[in-house]
Amino acid sequence: MKRIEAGVTRPAPIAITIDGAAVQVHPGETLAVAVLAVSRRFRDDRAGQARGMFCNMGTCSECTVWVARDDGAWRRLRACLIPVEPGMQVRTRPPQPAPEAMT
Amino acid sequence: MTGYDIAIVGGGPAGLAAAERTIAAGLNTCVIDEQQRPGGQILRQPPTGFSVPGWLSGAPYRTGRALLRRVEADPRLHWLGCRSVLGITPCAQADGFGLTLSGTGGGLEHIAAARVIIAGGCYDMPVALPGWTLPGVMSAGSVQTLIKAQQVLPGQRIVLFGTHPLMIVLAQQIVAAGGQVEAVCFAQPFAAMAKAALAHLPRAVRTPGPLAAAAAGMAALRRHGVPVRYASPVIACEGADAVTHVRLADGTALPCEVAAMCYGFLPQADLPRQVGATMRWSDPAGGWEAVHDDAMRASVPGLYVAGETTGVAGSDAAMAQGAIAGLAAAQDAGALTPSQAHAAMRAPRRARAAMQGFIDLLRAVANPRPWLPKAAADTLLCRCEDIAAADVDRAIADAAALGDSFGASAIKLRCRVGMGLCQGRTCEHAVIRRIAARRGCPEAVVAGFRPRFPARAVSIADLLDHAE
Repeated sequence: MKRIEAGVTRPAPIAITIDGAAVQVHPGETLAVAVLAVSRRFRDDRAGQARGMFCNMGTCSECTVWVARDDGAWRRLRACLIPVEPGMQVRTRPPQPAPEAMT
Repeated sequence: MTGYDIAIVGGGPAGLAAAERTIAAGLNTCVIDEQQRPGGQILRQPPTGFSVPGWLSGAPYRTGRALLRRVEADPRLHWLGCRSVLGITPCAQADGFGLTLSGTGGGLEHIAAARVIIAGGCYDMPVALPGWTLPGVMSAGSVQTLIKAQQVLPGQRIVLFGTHPLMIVLAQQIVAAGGQVEAVCFAQPFAAMAKAALAHLPRAVRTPGPLAAAAAGMAALRRHGVPVRYASPVIACEGADAVTHVRLADGTALPCEVAAMCYGFLPQADLPRQVGATMRWSDPAGGWEAVHDDAMRASVPGLYVAGETTGVAGSDAAMAQGAIAGLAAAQDAGALTPSQAHAAMRAPRRARAAMQGFIDLLRAVANPRPWLPKAAADTLLCRCEDIAAADVDRAIADAAALGDSFGASAIKLRCRVGMGLCQGRTCEHAVIRRIAARRGCPEAVVAGFRPRFPARAVSIADLLDHAE
């Protein structure tokens, strides 16, 4: 992934963690961009094959990642719809204990 | 529960045009959208903290941008962004509808509205071919919205493949953003596109804007040395942990970090289906479009539809339909007299009628049906539940042994295809095509998956929190 630089100005970067590693992102960016900045892989399927984002419009749910809430519980969310927030913790693999189910 | 006169689902060109009319008529109007800011996919805006000089400054975006500026700045608009509509049900207390919303980051809420306008837009048709689940294979719309709104290129070397001329526009946008388009691969021969176009050209020239833009786009790609290939179907995406190249039918491998497919668009149809509106199969690309009268009223009283939800026709058509739907809702609410509404509908109706020639031309030129790539036996049709084409075909054969009137839900029950997070939006059209082929019937008569709550993915914990 590459940020377009020509003429574009962004707010000063903040840090979030993805799979335990710090990642610099700009406020307003989505979690999908934060993950893409690290890797095209977003999750693994049932066969253990890497999967990436597909639609970037909330329709396909391919880009789901686990995001920690303030109370420590994990939510599986569509990365393409969630703006980054300072200190956000994101996992691309199911966190322990076992994550909640999603309908 | 918050109540509105009008709830509009979708903040794109159709929804904004509808909102402009209902707000002007004095009706308490909310617009619900999954994005942070209004605009829809075609006008997906950068975040508020970004500065992007010259954002979507091209002529095709001008009318939509003007509408966006007017409606976004209107203090009377109740903008409900970052929310997904999970469900819509008739609601007796509201004498209208109840809508269940989830925040895209969690939490549930309910609103009520006397009238609902569904302007849900469309999404890129997901087409199963070998290797399409590799990271780096994505929809053309995905690449385009990453550029427009997030100002990022998902990879440096990008291949575009499919049948839809939107690839020309997207290739230009990638080049302008500093990316490299390895190739644009049209599956169909140029002669087939030209032949399809010719039949519609006499009527299409009534709205010459899009034709001129297409010609300018081709010229720009030539200047930048972007190879545009015709009769070059991509038959597979290949790579180990992510896509490294696409394979053409003649054996050529084109290296890439991103392979973006562009076979056309399907209407977002979950909500009108869920509330029982009459739908019809969308020709030629497929998917379900909402049926409406000449003022965009759906078959369910109090429900209106506008834009791509009624059949994919582009943002100019969506704006015209949105205006008509907003006026009809205002008339039915008693905020406009029938003669006021009728007079105000004249201009958007005329504009919509003038566009039909170009819309027919584009549908014919872009028609993916003869050119869809083939899934292999082990290609996943259902990306959510990881169900392969062979499993689906076995389920279809089993169902066929019991009679030939089965639909998509029978196949879902047998093999879980369409049971995942996307609610079948990705695989339903492919399952219907395979059933139709087996039954030897038109796709239009194959029943789709039964629409289910929730229309969008939501965590069980949010539903449980809410039930307590």
